[in-house]
Amino acid sequence: MTGRRRLALAAIWLGPSLVFVAITAHVMIGARLVAPPRLAAPARAALLAIARGALDGQPSPAARDPAILAPFDDTVAISLWSRGTRRARALGQGPSIAAATTAAAQALVAQPLVAALVPADRAAARLEIDVVTARAALGSDAPWVATVTVPAVSDELIAALALVPGQDGVGVRFDDGREALLLPGEVVDDNLVKREHAVGFVPDVAVGFDPALAARILTRGQRSPVAAWFRFRTDAFVEGPDHAPLALDRGLPPGPAPTAANLRAGALAGARYLVAHLAPSGRYVYTHDLVTGARSDPATGSYSIPRHAGVTYFLAQTYRLTHEAWLRAPIERAVGHLEQLVDAGGCTGDGPGGAYACVRDASEIKASLGSTALAIVALVEYERATGDPRYRPLALRLGRWVLAMQRADGSFAHYYDVATRTRDEAAMLPYFSGEAALALARLHAVTGDPIYGAAATRALDWLVDWYDFFLGGFFFAEEHWTCIAAEALDPALAKPAYAAFCADYGAFLRGQQLDAAPGDAGDDWAGAYSTAPFLVPSNTPTGSRTEAMISTYELGARTGQADPALARQIRASLAYLVRQQVAPDRDFAAAGLDVLGAVPNSAVDRTVRIDYVQHVGSAMIRAAELGDLVEPTQE
Amino acid sequence: MSGTRTASSGSRTSPPRRDPRRWIYGGLNLGLAVLYAVAVASIVASRHATDRALLWTLPLWSSLAGAGVLVGGRWGWRLACGGCLGLLAIATWLLLAIAVDAAFLAGVYGALGASAAGFALIAGLLVIELVALVPALELAWLRGRAGRRAFGATRASEAR
Repeated sequence: MTGRRRLALAAIWLGPSLVFVAITAHVMIGARLVAPPRLAAPARAALLAIARGALDGQPSPAARDPAILAPFDDTVAISLWSRGTRRARALGQGPSIAAATTAAAQALVAQPLVAALVPADRAAARLEIDVVTARAALGSDAPWVATVTVPAVSDELIAALALVPGQDGVGVRFDDGREALLLPGEVVDDNLVKREHAVGFVPDVAVGFDPALAARILTRGQRSPVAAWFRFRTDAFVEGPDHAPLALDRGLPPGPAPTAANLRAGALAGARYLVAHLAPSGRYVYTHDLVTGARSDPATGSYSIPRHAGVTYFLAQTYRLTHEAWLRAPIERAVGHLEQLVDAGGCTGDGPGGAYACVRDASEIKASLGSTALAIVALVEYERATGDPRYRPLALRLGRWVLAMQRADGSFAHYYDVATRTRDEAAMLPYFSGEAALALARLHAVTGDPIYGAAATRALDWLVDWYDFFLGGFFFAEEHWTCIAAEALDPALAKPAYAAFCADYGAFLRGQQLDAAPGDAGDDWAGAYSTAPFLVPSNTPTGSRTEAMISTYELGARTGQADPALARQIRASLAYLVRQQVAPDRDFAAAGLDVLGAVPNSAVDRTVRIDYVQHVGSAMIRAAELGDLVEPTQE
Repeated sequence: MSGTRTASSGSRTSPPRRDPRRWIYGGLNLGLAVLYAVAVASIVASRHATDRALLWTLPLWSSLAGAGVLVGGRWGWRLACGGCLGLLAIATWLLLAIAVDAAFLAGVYGALGASAAGFALIAGLLVIELVALVPALELAWLRGRAGRRAFGATRASEAR
């Protein structure tokens, strides 16, 4: 073979690959954002002292830390938090971080709103400093990205996933050289990473970056055309309640250790939040926006009875495990609302087993299995907690209806037309069958009536066997109620298949649990569940799955097979969850009344719905009872 | 071994001819066998014993095909054809199972199931690409004149 031929062969076989590798490397380097190491605690304290001194009208201490005196050519932002909202924000530039901070602090105190603060508000305000540490091109402004596109695919995908949610800020540089920035926290507060169905061809990517809204905000009042878009990363920290600096990751300071004491305190804080959000009518304030402080109206806003019942179950569970007297009256008020719905819903009658009833909200055309099943769970939990059987007759009437909704194969009809007294045999929803299995298992535990035990067993058999098809060997749907029911069932009735099913479910979930690998995805998500690193994990599934994993762990422990992998999985999730809850050192960005104990949807969606608090709180209180699980002495 | 009469076919065969595709297909078969083994052990590990056993035949069929192609000769040709047919049979079963299950999920769960069915469709396309494509092309080559010549499995009347 001649040298020329060899060269030609090498070019044919290697050339295209080399070209692709070179292009890929060029694009990645252009889009990548490399942040330097974060400032140490003394440097943060020195910068906050500068800002606080300016706010209080005191002379700033001389900066001595070399890290904040080193050459710097970017921007420092200072935000003033008061009563849970970002009241003011100013930017500053200078030859060092200290100088830029001084400039930003002077710009902040010059703002009329800040100057008008009364001394008490000034003292209670919390200052946040964001030091811009790295920048990169945004989305299609990155090299080659706009040049080579797949029609109808690239544009949406690149726009939706242009930012790392909660970590990236977004900015524009105008033709005249000026810049406008939205800090990472402002991107969240302005709902810029909550655009629904951002990628049309991937419906499961539920939210994404909204470039059009960002453009409207950033260019407001500007006449100069935009020259370039960019994203940036900041080293952010905030004053704690004692004015000591707290480092922020995705807007959150570090969380407490998930010790049994902290978990119990967290669960009680969640219960207090829910009690404070229980209206005199017995309905909960369904949602609370931590950014604006806005609350939904319990009388007219959207509502879910299964969630009402689930939340009431959590309160009763917390009462059973803590005996906190302040919980009892609110639980009875919330249960009273369920009784009212039964009386007003028209879903009552006499069947072969006796009187039956189901729960139906006034807004519902059909009664759902989930509403009645979780109402039973709440009523039985009340009896377990108090020993008071006052709700037993109602629980039995509801139980007879659930039995009537069960088919011979153990499955359930999920809806019931109250007007025609007929089951809807077609509709099939997640959760309801597992909730019904739990209701039947609980009724069996409290009454000892074998009819409920047999029905619960048939339900669990059906739930476990449902996956008996080819694709069913590779995935699980949301089975947290199933595993909670499997553990709640009388051990004499439980089958080994239930424990095996839940152990497999646990292993499946471990595959989705994020680990503490530092990087762009963020080690602050460690312990949460997510199917992709760019999809922000929601707090509720992490809470509900942790409840299920605790049940799974207990199922194994019963037979002397407590799984240490499950214990690690549960601990990791709890460490993640305790950080998500609003607590005194983390309430600076939580607006509205009675926000302590709240659990928002995620770090980038600050809406709190009642069931978010329920699932996370239930995981906490159950884990707190297993002290050796959350605080292992050895493993 | 020109002119030998084989017991199995009773036909005359011509000597094997050098064909780089033997090494290419042999390498692909063995490489894919390793890939299948890793995938079945970790990525697509079914919880169902029968499905797991069927999936484990993927690396077996692929190894069989690779060994046959690399060994050569009439038996090698038969092994390679058998391995490829086995892979195609498993691919057909996988596609059928995925299609039926996707339709089931879409039927039961509506919009939620349609999303799952979308992923099932992607899984089906991956089966075609990763399981069916190589054995289909390989089998076409094996059963063609060039393939038979490469194994010395050509009938004398074809060896012109």
